[in-house]
Amino acid sequence: MGLEQHFPALIIAILFGIAFLSPLLFRWARKLSAPVLITTLAMATMMAVYLLVLVYQGGEFSYYMGGWPPPWGVEFKINLLRVYMLLIVLAISLWIMVYALKDLEHELKQELMGWYYSLYALLVGSMAGIALTNDLFNLFVLMEICAISACAIISIKEDRACLEASFKYLILSAMGTGCFLLGVAMLYMVTGQLNYDLVNEALPAAIELYPNNMFAAAALFIVAFGTKAALFPLHVWLPDAHASAPSPSSAMLSGLVIKIYAFALFIMFYQVFPRPLLESIPINEIVLWLSAMGIMFGSIFAMVQVDLKKMLAYSSIGQIGYVFLGIGLDDTIAVTGGFYHLLVHAIMKSMLFMTAGVIIYSTGIRQIKQLGGIGQVLPITMIAFTIGSASMIGLPGTGGLISKWYLALGALEIGRPIFVVIILASSLLNAVYYMPIIVNAFMQQEEFEHEVKPVPRQMLIPLFVGMAAIIFFGVFSRPVISLLENALQIFF
Amino acid sequence: MEMLIRILHNYYYMVAILLFVIGMHTMLTHSNLIKKVIAMNIMDTSVFLLFVAIGYTYGGAAPIVAENSEILYVNPLPGSLMLTGIVVAVSITAYALSLVVKIYRFYGTVDYDEICLIRSQE
Repeated sequence: MGLEQHFPALIIAILFGIAFLSPLLFRWARKLSAPVLITTLAMATMMAVYLLVLVYQGGEFSYYMGGWPPPWGVEFKINLLRVYMLLIVLAISLWIMVYALKDLEHELKQELMGWYYSLYALLVGSMAGIALTNDLFNLFVLMEICAISACAIISIKEDRACLEASFKYLILSAMGTGCFLLGVAMLYMVTGQLNYDLVNEALPAAIELYPNNMFAAAALFIVAFGTKAALFPLHVWLPDAHASAPSPSSAMLSGLVIKIYAFALFIMFYQVFPRPLLESIPINEIVLWLSAMGIMFGSIFAMVQVDLKKMLAYSSIGQIGYVFLGIGLDDTIAVTGGFYHLLVHAIMKSMLFMTAGVIIYSTGIRQIKQLGGIGQVLPITMIAFTIGSASMIGLPGTGGLISKWYLALGALEIGRPIFVVIILASSLLNAVYYMPIIVNAFMQQEEFEHEVKPVPRQMLIPLFVGMAAIIFFGVFSRPVISLLENALQIFF
Repeated sequence: MEMLIRILHNYYYMVAILLFVIGMHTMLTHSNLIKKVIAMNIMDTSVFLLFVAIGYTYGGAAPIVAENSEILYVNPLPGSLMLTGIVVAVSITAYALSLVVKIYRFYGTVDYDEICLIRSQE
């Protein structure tokens, strides 16, 4: 009966608390505000590790907010998959924040830093909440917090492109949450419950009576989470938003925010909706083909971009497709691959946006054309870019290969080899747009003619961590894969 | 015919869905940014209407439990949930409007087509 039994709520509480405090801290004790945020994120990460140990030892458990069990109170569910997602969110946001401290100094006005920390903590807290919550309405509130803070860390830069991009993002994500709430209304109408498990118990009886409600809810959820996670035809907001934001925000948005909604969609379809419903209508087929189209078109759009960050943003549309592909294939191995890709892509895309940030910080260049010969002046950054790209393409020894391998195995398992072809083709397309940058950066003979500022160590250390992580997850994939296999047992 | 009667009986659901579609259509197709924000509110409000309509029972009393009374109550849960929903919608609206103000300062217009025109001329 100690403090540790409250860790699930405490993780979110300390993050929201620090969101409230950091503008005040920034005003009164400016030196303290950044270390306090870093400490909080580190503490939250450690709590999440403790939760992982707890789940490994004692299996899944629930946390009731205020001691009220469902159907009265909000329930947090702590099982392997939730904790896996929670750990990804917290550890990667800690990593990005370390990088952000230096990078933001030149991208933001000095007096806005306190507000940025506040928004950042809100964003991380709401994503941690989405990972843990077991209540539909709680999920809606957390999604709205996540949407506002995600838009705000774009628009905080206050140039024209950022404002427009975040307005577009805000409108489309408001449409997403509107659709989600309507879907929740459809479910609440026939079940009278909001807790995932209770809805799941009540649905089989409800399907008999009101099948149309279920179909509407399923369709609305696809639109809602598809918009927020940039599933292919609903991705239009992503390139502008992710490309114009300050680099740490881009890393955060591309690395984590779109992933958490893919995760939420998975939980909706596999935990809330009963299996017979999933099998009676072709939801998975829809997700599958949309994601396949996203994988191809994201890569094709990325090829024609001239702006480095825009190219990375379009590449995200392709890569989130892999996660949805895993979900749509509806097979343990494929979903394992999808979730492994969620982790690996979070690391590599964050790192690629960080390298883009370093390049912009050091030389001010955003155009891909002007990057020729940059490998001689920024060697570490470009090596990090090379490793990140290798993982995007899926070269052996990097994490990207493992996830694609499992996705392909899953596709073969259920007898759909066409998706293996799509995975291979998109790997080739990835190579088409990442390789020229690397070749140009290292092989060009001419001197690099732009002015180069020295890169501070604080920005380079996160890159080393990222490189190490990508190679680690490429070589020692077994622990995470076996964790995922355990975690997914309850869904299949 | 039976379908029509069912729709007539549940006309408040139909109104909510109609409002939702109006809001969504306006939000996605109109070029005026303020109108987009208004449409966003219409869309949110329609969902609130739907939720409150779900919770209503004909002839129900306010859900205050008096001692040994056996009357029918209105479901209070959707109402209280929508209170939270309204707060969320207000904050989204405030944020969206503040963005519109900033965009107006840069371009001198709140019309998206004109903004695109200004950008293409630069």
